[in-house]
Amino acid sequence: MTTPVLSLRDVRLTLGNNAGRTEILKGIDLNVTAGETLGLTGPSGSGKSSLLMLMGGLDRATGGSVKALGEDLGSMNEDQLARFRRDHMGVVFQSFHLIPTMTALENVATPLELAGNSDAFELATQELEAVGLAHRLHHYPSQMSGGEQQRVALARAAAPRPEILLADEPTGNLDGTTGAAIMDLLFGLRDRHGSTLILVTHAPELAERCDRIVHIQDGQLA
Amino acid sequence: MTHSVAMAWRLTRRELRGGIKGFRIFLACLILGVAAIAAVGSVREALRAGLSSQGAVLLGGDASVSFTYRFAEDSELELLTDTAEVLSAIADFRSMIVVGDERALTQVKAVDDAYPLYGRAELDPPMPLATALDGSNGQPGIVLDDLLIDRLGLQIGDTLTVGEVPFVLMAELVSEPDNATAGFGLGPRSILRRSALEGSSLLSEGTLFDSHYRMRLTTGGIDQAFAELMPKLEANGARWQDARNGAPGMRRLIDRLGAFLVLVGLAGLAVGGVGISAAIRSYLDEKTGTIAILRALGAERRVIFLTYFLQIGILTLVGLALGVALGALIPVVMVPMIAQSLPISAELTLYPGPLAEATLYGVLAALLFTLWPLARTEEVKAADLFRDAALGSNRLPRPLFIGLCVGILALLVWVAAKLSGMEALAMWSFIGLGGAFATLVLTGIAVRFAARWLGHRKLLRRVPTMRMAFTAVGGPGGEAGAVVLSLGLGLAVLAAVGQIDNNLRGSISRDLPDVAPSFFVVDIQPDQIDAVKDRLESDPFVSRIDTAPMLRGIITKINDRPAREVAGGHWVVQGDRGLTYSAQPTRTTVVDGEWWPEDYQGPPQISFAAEEAREMGIGIGDKLTINILGRDITGDITSLREVDFSQAGMGFVLTMNPSALAGAPHSYIATIYSEKEGEAAILRDLGNAHPNITLISVRDAITQITGLMGQVAAAITYGALATLVTGFVVLMGAAAAGERARTYEAAILKTLGATRAGILLNFAIRSAVLGAAAGVVAVAAGGVAGWAVTHYIMEESFVFDLPNALAIVMGGVFATVIAGMLFAFRPLSTKPARVLRARE
Repeated sequence: MTTPVLSLRDVRLTLGNNAGRTEILKGIDLNVTAGETLGLTGPSGSGKSSLLMLMGGLDRATGGSVKALGEDLGSMNEDQLARFRRDHMGVVFQSFHLIPTMTALENVATPLELAGNSDAFELATQELEAVGLAHRLHHYPSQMSGGEQQRVALARAAAPRPEILLADEPTGNLDGTTGAAIMDLLFGLRDRHGSTLILVTHAPELAERCDRIVHIQDGQLA
Repeated sequence: MTHSVAMAWRLTRRELRGGIKGFRIFLACLILGVAAIAAVGSVREALRAGLSSQGAVLLGGDASVSFTYRFAEDSELELLTDTAEVLSAIADFRSMIVVGDERALTQVKAVDDAYPLYGRAELDPPMPLATALDGSNGQPGIVLDDLLIDRLGLQIGDTLTVGEVPFVLMAELVSEPDNATAGFGLGPRSILRRSALEGSSLLSEGTLFDSHYRMRLTTGGIDQAFAELMPKLEANGARWQDARNGAPGMRRLIDRLGAFLVLVGLAGLAVGGVGISAAIRSYLDEKTGTIAILRALGAERRVIFLTYFLQIGILTLVGLALGVALGALIPVVMVPMIAQSLPISAELTLYPGPLAEATLYGVLAALLFTLWPLARTEEVKAADLFRDAALGSNRLPRPLFIGLCVGILALLVWVAAKLSGMEALAMWSFIGLGGAFATLVLTGIAVRFAARWLGHRKLLRRVPTMRMAFTAVGGPGGEAGAVVLSLGLGLAVLAAVGQIDNNLRGSISRDLPDVAPSFFVVDIQPDQIDAVKDRLESDPFVSRIDTAPMLRGIITKINDRPAREVAGGHWVVQGDRGLTYSAQPTRTTVVDGEWWPEDYQGPPQISFAAEEAREMGIGIGDKLTINILGRDITGDITSLREVDFSQAGMGFVLTMNPSALAGAPHSYIATIYSEKEGEAAILRDLGNAHPNITLISVRDAITQITGLMGQVAAAITYGALATLVTGFVVLMGAAAAGERARTYEAAILKTLGATRAGILLNFAIRSAVLGAAAGVVAVAAGGVAGWAVTHYIMEESFVFDLPNALAIVMGGVFATVIAGMLFAFRPLSTKPARVLRARE
């Protein structure tokens, strides 16, 4: 049996404040194998994006365990998690989350620089060329369209060749045509690098491009 | 209109229900600025009130008539006795106290039985002054400042001599009531009875002393006494002072220093203004959505403007009230501290004048710095709801608002100029602040460009943290402009004050020539001068001796017109001046006219200092009348000389031909240039051989004057502390405003694999870069301001204080890094998912 790239056991997430506590995830068990593409679907507020954040170590589960490449993310501190993402993961967000004070090239080069790659800018240039943005290398995010920004975000996530690619509704802020182009690029990058892809989406037609679809309803796998 | 106001008021109340969270920096800046100005004004008023109410005590009488180097003649004394209810005559002079081989310079007050007319001298052990001066065992008594007692190792009951007269030390002089009028004394005070000096040469004709005739007058008799006395006495060289302005020197110092500190306070308010403006801009940016919704719902721009104007107006009132209250309380703490180093007691009460002045400055500054960002609320349109719009557009407000801002600024400058009484300084202060403001704005832009350029260089790609820090400083939405301006303006004020402080403290010692005399010697009688010269000329340590006959006189008329009418307030005609006579021009150069022949016996001729003559508008051929010891001598100016008063040697504005003055009673003065090793022996030998002469150590005098300058400089530096605190608050405001952006950036960087230490270093580098840029500009601006004040106001040569400048730059870096680090806690501790998802 193949060792899972991601392994979630009874994962729970409860968020709360003075106004009360909300159970977001109520015991999720899930394995993702190497090279698999997994679609996470579900209605708004079902907990799918929260689950993706836990997989990326961007948030901590309040119960259960999240293991990535055999490492327990719950036992790592913030810096260990950051280094783990740097070495093994790429994340794409719905709102792109580019650093506004950096150009497209600098945004893509940043994770490579953090990893100590001496060819960071050359690789970043190639990655941007691969997503069709060779002419936008020195533009700031505010000077680009939403579709272009998301292509930069894709290039940034894929540039370090991560084993795991996490994408949180990457077309959520884009029109249909642009969104379709982005999805083509995302799957193209995944195919090229052989990464494991977990894609959060509420669009069934996008999920259907994945090897497997997992539906979440009210914090539980349906 | 009424409906608009009512609507705006309702909206204002609803908005204010949310609390004042967004206004903390606004309030802090306003409170600090207003409090500093109110406090300075209140302290100044408290000291002024102290001066006014104690005028008679400080002066030593309701009125005083003074003569230089002479006592009143019998006819003058009769006039004074007839006018005063009680008359007290004292003499004030420098002398040496001798105990064995030890000797020390002292400023002697020789009093009569009526002294003091007002107040009382405090002695330790406590006893009436009259009892102390009676002395014991047939010897007259003396009381001394504790500095003298310590220096000479004296005990109560010990015997000492002043000149050649023996006294018994009866008590330590803890305080004298009239010590604010004596002016600057080079030696610590001693009080003795004048009658004890009779028969000695200490107060003989030709020696240097002042006599003061203090009068107790019937109520309202000051004007009457002036009218009776001065028309008859003024021509004799008498000077008048009365209790309405008992200590004019002290009052002038307090007024000048107070006005200067108010200007420093205004600079602090300007620094705070940057924070106020930034806080309002940031608050209104957050309100863009609300404003767009209100516009969509049909609110006119007038209603929108009024809504936020009222909000800020209410908070301004709160800030003013708190600032004024704090400013009124600060003197309670400050005045006792200040009073310790002043000879007057201040009257602590509430002074509405300075509080109103501070309120006026606060209102104008708040209006000036809020109106511009407020005017931008008018630009928000309903359509902005659908765009990522903010108030940060670069469009100018309507001309009406621009006009209002210019008008308020002009009013602020005018008010500061009028209220400070230092119009030119106020004007230049505003020009300096404006220049610094503009320079800092341009620097902010330049730093962004430079950082962007550097961040894109291949060289920095090898140092990712550095590269990221520079691109962050240079990228869009960077905080370079805000930080450089908010920190730089505060640092510029500090740098200016620092440079002024250094030049003030160093002005005396720096301007001295390399070889300054060791001693000034005064009161050498004509029959002693040869013996003095003999002693010094045989001394191997002495390299030079200059001697000159010394008289004092007042220039009363120029070309038969009153001198003050012709020469205005020039210092040469304001009091008595030293003058000399000489057959040959020694150690001087005649630049115009002809020096008299060596054996000249004709009508009096005058050689005048060239620079002073030019300033007074007089020259060759003009006729001067000089009152010397009550006698008028009139002569023509026949030559002009170069006189350098900065060389610490002898310098006489007026020199006359010998036959004009040689018959008048006079003494000699001398300057002695000696190696340090020879000074003690000179002091001892001359003191023993000629007990009446006074040796003033130049080194001691410089120490004392430098100490006095240091006190003035310290007052200015303390005044600038409010600016420093305000600057830091503004900086914290700028750092706080950038916290959200940094939290977001940190979340992305963490997602990409950056560690917290790496992110912290990134933040620290940017802070350091911005702090250094602000510091460098501040040092440049402060240096220019310091030079201007030193050169034009203090009329001293300026020396750039490099250590101070480096401290300012380092301080700037340190403050920015600290502020940056304080606001790095949240960005570093927040989980990326929370931040990033909140932005989805």
